[in-house]
Amino acid sequence: MSIFKDFAKGLWKENPVFVMILGMCPTLAVTTNAINGFSMASATMFVLVSSSLVVSVLKRLIPNQVRIAVYTVIIATFVTVADYFLKAKFPPISKALGPYVPLIVVNCIILGRAEAFASKNSVIRSLADAVGMGLGFMLALVILGSVRELFASGAVFGRTIIPHWHSWVVMILPAGAFISLGILVGIFNLIRLKAKNEKRKVKN
Amino acid sequence: MKNAIRMILVLVVVGLISGGALVSVYNYASPLIEKNKEKELKDALNKVLPEVVDYKEIEANRLYEGRGKRNRLVGYAFIAEGNGYQGKIKIIAGIDPGLKELKGIEVLESSETPGLGAEITKEPFKSQFRGLSVVPDVTFTKGAVSEKNEIQAITGATISTRSVVKILNKEIARIREVLGR
Amino acid sequence: MNLLLIFIAAAVTNNFVLTYFLGICPFIGVSNKLESAFGMGMATTFVMTLAATATWLINHYLLMPLRIEFLEYVTFILTIASLVQLVEMFIRKTSPELYRALGIYLPLITTNCAILGLTLFIALRDYEFLEAIIFGFGAGVGFTLALIIMAGIREELEFADVPKPFEGTGITLIIAGLLALAFMGFGGLIAS
Repeated sequence: MSIFKDFAKGLWKENPVFVMILGMCPTLAVTTNAINGFSMASATMFVLVSSSLVVSVLKRLIPNQVRIAVYTVIIATFVTVADYFLKAKFPPISKALGPYVPLIVVNCIILGRAEAFASKNSVIRSLADAVGMGLGFMLALVILGSVRELFASGAVFGRTIIPHWHSWVVMILPAGAFISLGILVGIFNLIRLKAKNEKRKVKN
Repeated sequence: MKNAIRMILVLVVVGLISGGALVSVYNYASPLIEKNKEKELKDALNKVLPEVVDYKEIEANRLYEGRGKRNRLVGYAFIAEGNGYQGKIKIIAGIDPGLKELKGIEVLESSETPGLGAEITKEPFKSQFRGLSVVPDVTFTKGAVSEKNEIQAITGATISTRSVVKILNKEIARIREVLGR
Repeated sequence: MNLLLIFIAAAVTNNFVLTYFLGICPFIGVSNKLESAFGMGMATTFVMTLAATATWLINHYLLMPLRIEFLEYVTFILTIASLVQLVEMFIRKTSPELYRALGIYLPLITTNCAILGLTLFIALRDYEFLEAIIFGFGAGVGFTLALIIMAGIREELEFADVPKPFEGTGITLIIAGLLALAFMGFGGLIAS
């Protein structure tokens, strides 16, 4: 049960993007369309899961004072692996994501999960936590990417949803990223506030 | 003291393992990456110099000589860059052996405004350069095209248009010197 | 002339925060008070200039000659982390006043993606030594500028009636969007 909880919290209750406001750079930068958002999230997921795994396996061996340095090296290593893999096997994706792949190193979600969870919990639980957080991040990026792509070109994942859409150029621009994410965070909060109020009503 | 040794030991071991892992990833990936780059360059060259069968590098990443059937010289391809409206614009272009007219251009990199300056990457703009005279140089107009060396600017993106024209003119002038024409 | 263009591009036309989305965490986190925004901006500019210098030297005199560019990310992030630590120790020893002003922001800077982003851009664009330093400084100035403008707006915002779900992050992001639109007006300054 607790493993399922570790997994599920990342999706909604502690969603890294909408609730904890972490990992903003890639969230805003690469979500000009849904596919880019999905690819970025997959790369992040790979790094998050692998580094959480290694950190939780090694947690007893790492001296406390140098733990952040060690975590950073582990994360940077996996990021380099992901970057080279994309460059070698998926050059168009690598080109679209550009320098935001190496920037996964400083994605606060990854170091945050290593420090707050993987360094204190068993391998299985850390794995569940990392996969949950990774999926929560993916959810956020795909939603944001789809919204922006839809309004920019009337399509999602390259498939036309609204024919003859008069494209809103602003959605591909940086401004569109900020505004869409702002509105999505607001909507997310609205839903959570409503849910909270209803719970209170039931209790009373 | 014991703790300090342990700290250093752990850091060194982690560093070594990380380095070792990355060496093998690098050895696996770098030939593939090289191949991708080569293919990308070849595709771009084929687009701007269509009749070409083989290429010879004159200057790496800058100037190439294109040979067609029976090793006939069919033109040169060059890569040039400069600043646009929002950031760097990088272009590859093909030109005839006499350096008199362009055979085509492709935009390799740009960050111009979508819907305006980004039109430089689209066909209506690019096709204007096919067969465009570069003697004495390329110019642009906001009205109707009247000269053989003139293109029409993109509406609302004069600066991006001017940047492309400037980048081309500068590099063509340089190539004339390099090839001694 | 080229250096001036690099500076302008880094500071306004391609502002790190508003066009590359780098350093968003501090941009949202530390932009509620003008004073702290200024402190954070100064500390970041300082570290950015230093990081640009240090990583350029490491890249050109260590990684490239030894052909170990694949260690780039690991080295860069460790360099930045140690640099921040060194700067913190140095300032604490030499100028307690400066330390009081910048000290609390320094630890936050290591995970500021703008710094790593900066060093990656320098490597990617093959800048010369001087260009790299100017680029680092310009990026820092641009970051400070965005942070201060945002803080100024948010101080006024305290008197506005923002819908509850949008309080804090939501409205900050939307304002950032409007700022990004305004900054597009600087486009064309760098055109050749």
